[in-house]
Amino acid sequence: MSPRFRDMLLSIAVAVVLGLGASAALLLFLGRSPVTAYALLAASVIRDGYTFADIFVKATPLILTGLAFALTYKANLFNIGAQGQFYMGAIAATAASLVLGNRLPGPLSLVIVFVAAVAAGGLWGSFVGFVKAKFGANEFLVSMMSTYVALAAMNYLLRTALMETKHEYPQTNPFAPGLWLPIFLRGTRLHAGFILAVLIALLIWLLLFRTAFGYRIRVVGHNSDAARLAGIDSRGITVTTFFLAGALAATAGFTETNGVQHMLVQGFNPNIGAEGIGIAILANANPVGVIFASILIGALKVGGTIMGQTSGVPASIIEIMEGFVMIFVILSYFIRSGLEIRRSKKELRRAQAL
Amino acid sequence: MDSPFLEIRGVTKLFSKVVANRNVSFSVGKGEVVALLGENGAGKSTIMKILYGLYRADFGKILINGKEQRIESPKDAMALGISMIQQAFSLVSAHSVAENIVLGTVKGLLNRRAYERKIRNLAVQYGFNVDPAAIVRDLPVGVQQKVEILKALFQNASLLIMDEPTAVLTPQEAANLMDFVRRYAAAGNSVIFITHKLKEVMDCADRIIIMRSGEVRGILPRAGTDEKELSLLMIGHELPPLPDVSAGALQAREMLRLQGVSVRDRHGVFRLRDVSFSIQEGEILGIAGVSGNGQQELCEVVCGSRPLASGRIWLDGRDIGSLGIRERIELGIGYVPADRQRDGMVMEMTLAENMILKSSYSSKWQKRPFLDRSRIRHYATSCIEAYSIRTPGPDAVVRGLSGGNQQKVIVAREVDNGTRLIVFDQPTRGLDLGAIDYVHKTILEERGRGKCVLLVSTELSEIFALSDRVGVLYKGVLQGIVPKGELTMETIGLQMAGYSTSGR
Repeated sequence: MSPRFRDMLLSIAVAVVLGLGASAALLLFLGRSPVTAYALLAASVIRDGYTFADIFVKATPLILTGLAFALTYKANLFNIGAQGQFYMGAIAATAASLVLGNRLPGPLSLVIVFVAAVAAGGLWGSFVGFVKAKFGANEFLVSMMSTYVALAAMNYLLRTALMETKHEYPQTNPFAPGLWLPIFLRGTRLHAGFILAVLIALLIWLLLFRTAFGYRIRVVGHNSDAARLAGIDSRGITVTTFFLAGALAATAGFTETNGVQHMLVQGFNPNIGAEGIGIAILANANPVGVIFASILIGALKVGGTIMGQTSGVPASIIEIMEGFVMIFVILSYFIRSGLEIRRSKKELRRAQAL
Repeated sequence: MDSPFLEIRGVTKLFSKVVANRNVSFSVGKGEVVALLGENGAGKSTIMKILYGLYRADFGKILINGKEQRIESPKDAMALGISMIQQAFSLVSAHSVAENIVLGTVKGLLNRRAYERKIRNLAVQYGFNVDPAAIVRDLPVGVQQKVEILKALFQNASLLIMDEPTAVLTPQEAANLMDFVRRYAAAGNSVIFITHKLKEVMDCADRIIIMRSGEVRGILPRAGTDEKELSLLMIGHELPPLPDVSAGALQAREMLRLQGVSVRDRHGVFRLRDVSFSIQEGEILGIAGVSGNGQQELCEVVCGSRPLASGRIWLDGRDIGSLGIRERIELGIGYVPADRQRDGMVMEMTLAENMILKSSYSSKWQKRPFLDRSRIRHYATSCIEAYSIRTPGPDAVVRGLSGGNQQKVIVAREVDNGTRLIVFDQPTRGLDLGAIDYVHKTILEERGRGKCVLLVSTELSEIFALSDRVGVLYKGVLQGIVPKGELTMETIGLQMAGYSTSGR
């Protein structure tokens, strides 16, 4: 194992421990025993197969919204609108699912639903890229505000066209079971969306680091002046990257509606976009790192929910814990680069006999 | 005996991968001008940055007036009377001259009039023509440098460190600066100037400290040495002379032609006005001039990164005036930009990745759907060998390369991209002699292969050494083109200052 890789694992582990430690101090402050709370947290996560599998259920959309931020970040663009793109994907997936019903064979309809979600989220995202490329609009603000539009559109549709037949709650009818993403671990909620998300993360990695297009994304991200002089069409890259980011977040919408809820409910997963940003930063925008960061946050979420339900410790403590862990992981980057410099200096000193 | 103003004893500085300074010791007396001479990467800037508190030494001591001092920040350095004028000026461009000069030394309410008067007096005292109320952004580089110097004088600096001070100046401005240096030192102050130009050293320094690979290789009084000895100490071996420029036979075919080319900037101001010339195959056209007179615009309009306001451009008989950058690259235009780190490369990427920067659309690097990485690495490796680029390998990040080696990466790439025309904008700025020599040889070789070369440089010696014909740009106007045999330093110097000699 290379010392750099070892440092990375070590520092992330230390950061997680520190994050838990800081949260423990908070628990003490609340008059709860952190020992029992953490024992419960650990025990509940591995309590049974169902709960353990739920970690990966929770990680699935996080991987995708994490990628939605990470990909644009590689082009030095900031996509703060994953939440809205997620909702657009969910709306399109839901509409397609409700229209298709049982008319077509399940796998085929799932593909259609997936394509509809990707198209909707992609177009929604590429709008941000388009106004950035065409008018120089600030993509940070436009993408952030586009979320509110998407949210309002979803609320409107859930009270009109998409509302359940009973007209009672702002939610849709359940989808036909043929349109549910298949469960691949019997007795759990773990659906095929997780595999899809992991595959997509690997594909994004390949795209970024093995293709000419991904190369150009990174060139634009690192040095847009040099990119321009190299004849690289950075506007086209801005639009395409935002299309892909929107499509990624929309895929999360698809896995949530068709994989978990099997319907669309007003205002579900309201923090998935923000958490995606945190995860992308946690993973240093590396698509493969995003997978692991999502699983970590997924585990904290699952454990936290159960801890809240069974021990009376407020479940929001888990969000504080997530925050602490992220802060410490980000701090660990700086410590790590300091360690790296010290190590190579030491080697140099030895080699030069100074 | 009086202790010298500054004494550096046994300073060693390690960066993570290299020894930047090894056991460096020297002293600078009061009223003395010391030149710190060495190639790029010799450790000159590093030792000065340690002295100025920007870096911290791993070993060694710094003594000021015989007393050991810890200098941990520029503030500490300034308190000891040490001021440094860096290559990239540290001025706030939106602020006035006076505001920049008092920055960091004042608290509370500012009495602008009083400061401006004080600065004006200071400027007059040293013969600087600087208006304290002017906005820095509007000033030419030469004047901005004077502002930096005034800032140091305002802070009562008794040791002035100047990093490559003449790199941005005209010969006349440089001479003025040297006058100032002598006058300032005569008042009992000390000056260290960092340079790799031998001529300046011989003009101005009392003593010369030569550095090579992080170590002091010699400390010589100017009187007892000559340029030959200095260059030998500096590079460690003698440079072979350039091959005779007039050797290549001119061919008749016209490769690049500009007719009535004008360029305006964002504010509608002409940056180039009615420029016309042509270059043949196997010919080098040198464009001289003080920087900022339209040279960069000329290069950019040829390469397509700046639109034509009027006029036409032909490459090999084809009108390329309306083509985009990418199309022009594909037609065989190579461009070595002046600001290589900003415009020419991606510092965070590897050498191999930088080699395909301009040709990432080309199918030659593709093994669909992926990049052909082994082919790219192979190409990078062959360039490393052909240009003797000093690097751990094709996967090394270019940020870690020295300036000269970074430039070799760009030159290698652009020579291959520019199958018809290569545009060199300041190709040797900031490079050490060895690298300069290498770049010059490459330019002549490419000319020998029949390529057409547009060479922009503010170094007259470079223009003279390489060009077949020479033109001077002044305020965006081409002052007539002369074959090399017919021109003298004097006529060019006059044209650079705007005295047109054409039409006579």
